[in-house]
Amino acid sequence: MTTHELLNSQNHAQLRLLPRRGAEPHFVQIVPSEFVAAAIACPILFSKDPGTGAFYAGVALGLKPGEAALETKEDRGGFEPLSLQRDGFFISGDCIAIDRGNARFSEVEGEPLFDSAQQPSTALRRMQRVLKQLHEGIEQTAALVRDLKELKLIEPIDIALSFDDGERLTLEGLYTVSRDALRDLADVDVLRLFRSGHLQLAYTVAGSLNQLSVLAHLRNRKLAAAR
Amino acid sequence: MVHAVRRIVIVGGGTAGWLTAGVIAARHRSRIPSSFSVTLVESPNTPIIGVGEGTWPTLRTTLSRIGVSETELFRKCDAAFKQGAWFARWTTGAANDGYYHPLMLPQSFSHINLVPHWLARNDGSSFCDAVCPQGKICDDGLAPKTIATAEYEAVANYAYHLDAGKFAPFLQQHCCEKLGVRHVLADVRRVHLNDSGDIRSLETEQAGEIEGDLFVDCTGFKALLIGETLGVPFVDCSDVLFCDTALAVQVPYETEASPIATHTISTAQSAGWIWDIGLPTRRGVGHVFSSRHISVDDAERELRGYIGAAAKDLSVRKIPIRTGHRQIFWKRNCVAIGLSAGFLEPLESSAIVLIEMSAKLVAEQMPVCREVMDVIAARFNNTTEYRWGRIIDFLKLHYALTQRDDSAFWRDNRLPETIPERLQHLMLLWRYQSPWYHDEFDRIEEVFPAASYQYVLYGMGFRTELEPQMVEGSANNAQRAMRENIAHTEKLRAGLPRHRDLIRKIVQHGLQPV
Ligand SMILES: Cc1cc2nc3c(=O)[nH]c(=O)nc-3n(C[C@H](O)[C@H](O)[C@H](O)COP(=O)(O)OP(=O)(O)OC[C@H]3O[C@@H](n4cnc5c(N)ncnc54)[C@H](O)[C@@H]3O)c2cc1C
Repeated sequence: MTTHELLNSQNHAQLRLLPRRGAEPHFVQIVPSEFVAAAIACPILFSKDPGTGAFYAGVALGLKPGEAALETKEDRGGFEPLSLQRDGFFISGDCIAIDRGNARFSEVEGEPLFDSAQQPSTALRRMQRVLKQLHEGIEQTAALVRDLKELKLIEPIDIALSFDDGERLTLEGLYTVSRDALRDLADVDVLRLFRSGHLQLAYTVAGSLNQLSVLAHLRNRKLAAAR
Repeated sequence: MVHAVRRIVIVGGGTAGWLTAGVIAARHRSRIPSSFSVTLVESPNTPIIGVGEGTWPTLRTTLSRIGVSETELFRKCDAAFKQGAWFARWTTGAANDGYYHPLMLPQSFSHINLVPHWLARNDGSSFCDAVCPQGKICDDGLAPKTIATAEYEAVANYAYHLDAGKFAPFLQQHCCEKLGVRHVLADVRRVHLNDSGDIRSLETEQAGEIEGDLFVDCTGFKALLIGETLGVPFVDCSDVLFCDTALAVQVPYETEASPIATHTISTAQSAGWIWDIGLPTRRGVGHVFSSRHISVDDAERELRGYIGAAAKDLSVRKIPIRTGHRQIFWKRNCVAIGLSAGFLEPLESSAIVLIEMSAKLVAEQMPVCREVMDVIAARFNNTTEYRWGRIIDFLKLHYALTQRDDSAFWRDNRLPETIPERLQHLMLLWRYQSPWYHDEFDRIEEVFPAASYQYVLYGMGFRTELEPQMVEGSANNAQRAMRENIAHTEKLRAGLPRHRDLIRKIVQHGLQPV
C-alpha cells in the first residue's frame, strides 16, 4: 500500500534506508543526463505517456513485461537508472515525500536518513541529488523531444523478434531517432543541435538500438539454460 | 511556342476553394513562386455557405498531405470524430428501426466476403456487428483512437465532424502562411475571354484585373465561371433524388460534459430526413426534404419536434438546394469544383470528398501547357461524371430499399422510373450475388467502396438468395474472421477512451506527429 508522507527530521529521525528491492521493470524512464551511461548496455527508446501522449525516454531492461533480461547493475554495465535509485522517494512541491509502505524503509536496518544532529545523512543527500537530477531531467527531455519532433527525427520503430523456442515478440508503441533523418539534416540544424547538446543525445539514442539484439541474445541464452 | 500553365486562379473561398488551393499548392510546392503561382480570389461580400460538417476519411490524407496539423484542426475548427452514420427509421419507419454504415471495412474484407456467411447464419445479429467493431464503439460513445495514437493515424477508421464556418478560414491561414497561396479579397465583376473562348482574366471591383492560365470555379451555387460565363448546362437530378430544401439549426448541449455522438445520426421523416452532427461545442441539426411532398412549415415542425424542448428559441436557416451537376466539369481552361460543379443531398457526406478527389486529380494531372489541356479535361470529365453517377446511385439506394409506405415521398422514391438504370441492374444482380471488392466498382479511387454498399444493403434488410454450397468452401475462414471480429471488438471497447474525453485531451496536450 502506498502511504505518502512528507519527509522531516522530527517524524523520521529513526528511519533507515535499504537497497531497492523487487523485480526490475522491463522498461524504465530515464532522463538525458543518463543517456551516455545507459547506452553502454541498454537500448534507449522513446515511449508515450498514456495519459497525455507526451514522449518520454526510457531504457528497455527486458523484452517482455515482468521479465528483465538485465537484472543486475552489473548486467547493465554499472548503470542504475535514477528512477530506480529514487524508488520510494518523490518530489512534492519544495519538499521530499516518501512512500512509507515501500519495503526499503526500516527502523532497524539500513543507512540512516538523518544524522544525530537531525541533519540529512550522506544517503539522504545522495537521494536529494537524484531527485534534483530527475526533476531537471524532465524539462531537458521536453526540450530534446521538441527539437527532435521539429526536425522530424523521431520515428516509430516496430520491433519483431523471434526466439529459439519459437516465440515471437512484437514490441509496439516505441520510437527511436531516425539515422536517415539525422544524415539528411541541413547544416544550420546540425549546428544548432550540436550547440544545444541534442545532437550527441540523438546519436546516442540511435546507436543504442544495437543493444536490442544483445538483449534478444541474452534472452535466448536464458531460454537455453532453463531447458 | 507552347503556352505554359503557370498561373492558377481559384475563384471562391469556401471549403472547395481553400481545399483546392491547398492540394494544388502542396503538390507543386517546389515550383512556387518561381515558376508557378496559386491565387485565390474571394468576394469580401458574398459569405460562404457555412454548412457541410460531415466528412469522409479521405480528409485525413488530404489534410496531412497539405501539411495541416490534426491537433490544430481540433483546436481551431471544433472538430469531432466521425465513425460512420446511424440511419434511423429508413427501412420500416418503426421506432426501433436503424442500422450503422460504419467506416471500418468488414473483417478480412480483402480475403473473404462475409455477406453470404452472415446471411447463412441468419441468427438475428446485425450485419455491421457480425463483421466489424465500429457499431459497438459508436454505441459506447468511444473515440476511434487514443491520445498516444499519432496524428491522422487510426485505431478504428474515422473522418471528422467540423464547424464549416471555421474550416475555410483555418485552411486559408495555412495556405497563405505555409504554402505560398496568394489571397485576393475582391469581387469578380466581369470575366474576359480571349479570341479562342478561353478565360483570359477576371475583372475585379477592388483589385483590378487578374490574369491566369487555368481558372478554378469555386464560387458555390453561383457557378460564375462554368455556368454564367461558359454556359455549361446543369443536369437536374431531382427526378431521382427529390430533396430540394434544407432547414439548418445549431443546438447547444445541455451541459459541457454531455456526450458527443461519434457518428452522424440520420433520421428519416415523412418527406425527407434529419441530420444530427455532434461537435464538441454544439450539435448541427438540419432537415433535408422534398418541398413537393411537404410544406416548409410542416418540415420545420418536424425538425423542432425532433430537437424537442431545446429548439424553443433557436432560429432556423432555410437553404434551397438544387440537385444535379454540370454536364461537364472542365471546359476550355476552367474547371469547376465544389457546389459550382453540382450538389446532391448530404446523405453520405459526399460533397467534400468529391472536392478532395477533384482537387487531387487537377493537381496530379496539372496540364503542363494549354496545348494538352483538352486531353486532361476530357479525362477529368470522364472520371468526374462517373463519380457523380456512382454517388447518385448510392444515395438512391437508401431510398430504393425502403419498405416505408406511410407517405407519398417514400412510395414515390420506389417508383422504377425514379431509379437509375444502372442501379436497377445492380439491385437485380445483388439479389443473386452480393457486392464485394472489385466486383462492380472498377475505378481505382471510388467514392464509396463495395463495403459501403454491403453495409447499406444488409443494414436495410436486403436479402441475397443463397445456395448453401456457396458458403461451404470458405466456412472455416469465415468463422475465423467472425471470431477475430468478436475479439477485436472486445479489445477496442476495453481500450478506447470516451469521445469527449479524448477531444479534451487533444485540445489540451495535442497529438504527436508520429
Ligand atoms: C444543407 C447542406 C448540408 C451539407 N452537408 C454536407 C456534409 O455533411 N458533408 C459534405 O461533404 N458536404 C455537405 N454540404 C456541401 C458543402 O457545404 C459544400 O460542398 C462545401 O461547403 C463547399 O462549398 P463551396 O466552397 O463550393 O461554396 P461556398 O461555400 O458557397 O463558397 C463560394 C465562394 O465563392 C465566392 N464568390 C461567389 N461569387 C463571387 C464573385 N463574384 N467574386 C468573388 N468571389 C465570389 C464567395 O465569396 C465564397 O467564398 C452540404 C451543403 C448543404 C447545402
